[in-house]
Amino acid sequence: MLTSSSPIIRVASNSEQTRPGAAARPALGPWVEIRGLGKHFAGEVALDSVDLDIMRGEVHGLVGANGAGKSTLIRCLAGVTVADRGTIRVAGEDLRPGSPRAAERAGFAFIHQELNLVPHFSVLENMLLGVPKVTRLGLIDWKRSGAGARLAAAKVGMRVPLDTRVSELSIGERWLVMIGKALARNAALIAMDEPTASLSAAETDHLFALIRDLSASGVAILYVSHRLDEVLDLSDRITVLRDGVIVDRSERGRLDKAGLIRAIVGHDVQTREDRPRPLVTRTGTPLFSARNVGRGHAVKDVSFDLWRGEILGFGGLVGAGRTETARLAFGVDRLERGHFELEGAPLRIRDEADAVQKGLALVPEERRSQGLMLDQSVAFNITIAALKPFEAVPGLPFLSSSKMRSAANRLVKHLQIKTPGVGTRIAGLSGGNQQKALIARWLDTNMRVLIIDEPSRGVDIGAREQIHDAIRDLAKTGVGVILISSDVEELALVADRVIVLHEGRVTGELTGADITESRIVELSYLDRAELAGAES
Amino acid sequence: MTSSTTAAPERATARTGAPMRRAILVFISRYATLIGLLAMIFFFSINAPETFFSRANFINILSQASLTAIIAAGLTYTLVVGEFDLSIGYVGSFVGLMVAGFMAKAGLPIPVAIGLALLIGIGLGLVNGALVTKVRINAVIATLGVGTMLSGIGFSYSAFPIAMGIPRAFTNIALGRPLFGIPNPVFVMIAVLAVLWTILNKTEMGQRMQAVGSNIEAARLSGIRVDRVKMFAFSVAGFCAALTGILLTSLLGSGTLGAADGYLLDAFAAVFLGSATMREGQFHILGTLVGVLVLAVGFNGLSIFGAPTYFQPIFKGGVLVLAVGLSTLARRYAAQA
Repeated sequence: MLTSSSPIIRVASNSEQTRPGAAARPALGPWVEIRGLGKHFAGEVALDSVDLDIMRGEVHGLVGANGAGKSTLIRCLAGVTVADRGTIRVAGEDLRPGSPRAAERAGFAFIHQELNLVPHFSVLENMLLGVPKVTRLGLIDWKRSGAGARLAAAKVGMRVPLDTRVSELSIGERWLVMIGKALARNAALIAMDEPTASLSAAETDHLFALIRDLSASGVAILYVSHRLDEVLDLSDRITVLRDGVIVDRSERGRLDKAGLIRAIVGHDVQTREDRPRPLVTRTGTPLFSARNVGRGHAVKDVSFDLWRGEILGFGGLVGAGRTETARLAFGVDRLERGHFELEGAPLRIRDEADAVQKGLALVPEERRSQGLMLDQSVAFNITIAALKPFEAVPGLPFLSSSKMRSAANRLVKHLQIKTPGVGTRIAGLSGGNQQKALIARWLDTNMRVLIIDEPSRGVDIGAREQIHDAIRDLAKTGVGVILISSDVEELALVADRVIVLHEGRVTGELTGADITESRIVELSYLDRAELAGAES
Repeated sequence: MTSSTTAAPERATARTGAPMRRAILVFISRYATLIGLLAMIFFFSINAPETFFSRANFINILSQASLTAIIAAGLTYTLVVGEFDLSIGYVGSFVGLMVAGFMAKAGLPIPVAIGLALLIGIGLGLVNGALVTKVRINAVIATLGVGTMLSGIGFSYSAFPIAMGIPRAFTNIALGRPLFGIPNPVFVMIAVLAVLWTILNKTEMGQRMQAVGSNIEAARLSGIRVDRVKMFAFSVAGFCAALTGILLTSLLGSGTLGAADGYLLDAFAAVFLGSATMREGQFHILGTLVGVLVLAVGFNGLSIFGAPTYFQPIFKGGVLVLAVGLSTLARRYAAQA
C-alpha cells in the first residue's frame, strides 16, 4: 500500500515538452467541443442535446444520478456508442463517431471501474497491450519497447517492479497501471469512472496528488464520481447531468455539496437528524450472533450481536474482513473457528441454500458478477430466490407466470424500481434500480437476517436514498440488517450501531450519537494494540 | 441550449443509418434460422413439388428429425446450465447396444430391457454431472472421456451387431404408425419436447437451471444448489441420449457399435441454431426443434436433388459453424443493445 506522507509523485519538469498535446498549451478556447450530442435507447432519452467543453489540462468533474447520461456521454467520446445527433470536435477537427481508434488517436483514454487489465500479465505487458512493440528478428525487444512505459510508470509513482504480475497488485496500484498505460500512449484526456470506489484512504490521496500533477502538465481529467466531496475538491469545473440534460455547470468554488446534490436530484436530501429512528431494544436473546468466528488471516476473531429490527453497520477499510465475515455467515466459505447463533441456538450452515432456508439473505458486494442474472428479466431476477409462493397448485412444482408477474409488479412498485416493465431485461436498468431489484429478491422470502454489502456503490443519490429507506423499512418489520459499507456517511446515516473491523478483528463499536464519520474513520485505521494504548 | 437543438438536425442526417443497421442485424440474428427454414421449404417445394412437397415426404422428414430432436433436447439442458455434454452420441450408441443385448443375450422382457437401458442413460448422465460438479473436471474433457470409455466398453460387450434374438415387438416400436400414418418416434419426440419445455419454462427446477446458466455465482448466492441443478441437467441429457439409442436400435433392428455416434454433431448444430432462434443466444427447447428441422429439411432436400454424398458432411459442418456464429453474434448484439 502506498503511504500518503511521502511525496511519491515526481512529474518530470520537462514533461510538457515530451507530450505533443501539452505543447500547445495555453491554447485559447476549448480543446474538446461537444455540440448538440443526443442519443436515444429504445425510445428513452439517454442524452438530449448536450453541449460540453473540455479545456486542456483541466480537471472536469462530471456528476449526475445513474441513468442521467454520464456513461452514454463517455461512451460517445470513446467511440463505443454512436450518437444519434451532434458532433464532437477535438482541436477544431471532427472526431469520427463510432471509432475507438479515432478516440485513442485524439488522445482520449478511459479508465472504468472494472479495470481492463490482464491479471496474469506483468505491469509492463499490460501497459504495452495493443501498442506496436519494437521487435528484433520477430521477437519483442521489451527493453526498447518499454522505454516509454517505464517513464510513464515513474511519472505515476509506480513502486512495484514492472515485471510484477497485475494479479498481485492492490486495486490502487492497478489504477496507477491504467493511468500509466494511458500516459504511455500520450493521452491528453483521461476519463476516470468512480476511481476511488475501492481505494484505501492513502491510495486515494496518492491518486488525487497524481491527478493534480497530470492536470498541471496539461492532461485533462474527466472525473466521474458519486463522491461529491472528491469532485468538489478536485475539479476546476463541474458539469451536472440529469435525465440526459446538463442542469448545471460551475467553476471551482461556486457550488457547494448541498447545491450539487440539489442539482443532481432536483430536491433536498434529508440528513440523519431529520429521521428519528425507533429505539432498538437490545435485551433478551439477540437475533443473530457471531462468537469468535474466523477463517484464515482475513477473519481473525469477530464477535457481534444483532438484534431484531436493528441495522448493524460494519465499518472498516477494504480488506478489513467485513465481506469475508459475511461470507462465513452465509455459508459461502467454511468456518474455521468459532460459531454463529440464531436466537441463541448454535447455527450450523452447510451452504448458501441452507443459509437461505434458515432465514439469512445476502445482497452481495459485486452487483453484476454476484447478484444479477443479466440476460434475464426483472421479474426473473426478483422471484428467483423464493419460487414456492408462485406454484400454480401449491405442492406441485409448476409455476404460475401470472403470479410471478404480479408479485414482481408489486415489488417494483414498492421499491420504486424504474423499469419499462417486469419483462424487461435487467441489464437495461440503471445501477440503482438493479440494486433495488436485488433487495426485492429477498422481500418475499422468510428472511430474518439481511446482510447487505456496499448497497449504494456506484448508485446515484436519489436511488441511494430509496435504498436506505428500503433498509429502514425492513428493519421496522423486525428483520435484523447487517450493513457493510465503505461509505462512512452511509453508515452514519443509516446504522443504529456500527462495529468497525480492522485486519480481521473488531476494533470498536459505536452507538447512537457516537456514530460519526470521523469516529468510524478513526477506528478503521486503529488496530487493537493501538486502541488499547490509546485508551489506557 | 436552444441554439444547439436547432442546429442538431442537419448534423444528424449523416448518422441515422447506424441504429437502423443495428436493428436489422438484430432482426436477422433472431429470425435468420426461421427464415432459412421457410426459404428452404419454399425452394424445395417449388422445385420438387412431387417429391418434396408431399405428405409422405413430410412424415419422412419428421421421423428423421425425431431421434435427433430427442437427443438434442437433452443436450439443450446441459447448455442451459452452462455446461457441455460430448458423450451423448456415445451414450446413445452404448445404450442402444445394451438394450439389444438385454433382450437377445440376457433374454429380458422388452419393458424391463428398455427400463434398464434408460436407467443406464440417467446413471451415465449422473456420472458426467458428478465429474463436472464434484470433481470439477471441465465438462468438455469429462464427457469426452466418459464417452470414449463407453465406446470401448461397448466394444468389449459385443464387437459385432446384435441382431439375432431381438423380438419383432421391439422393432415394431420405431416402425409402428398408430395415427395418421405417423410413426411412433415422432410421438415420442413430441412428448419429450413437451415435457422438457414445461420443465424448463414452467417449473422451479427450470427457473433454477436458467439462473445457473445466466450467472452461476448469483444463483448460488440466491440459495440455489447449483451442483444439483447441473446434475439434473446431465441426467436428463443422459436419459434423452438413451432414449434415442433405444429408438435407433428398434429402427435398425440391431444393436450396432457406434450407431448413434453421429448424432452428437447434429445435436450440437441444432442446439446452437436454436439458440439464435427468437432469442439472443439463449438455449431453448423450441429453438432446438427449429434447428433440428433445418437439418432434416436440408438433408432431405439434398438427397431429393441428388446431391453427392460428400455434400452431406459439408452441409452439416457448415450449418454447425454458421449456427455457432449466429448464436455468438446474437449474444453480442443483445449485450450492446
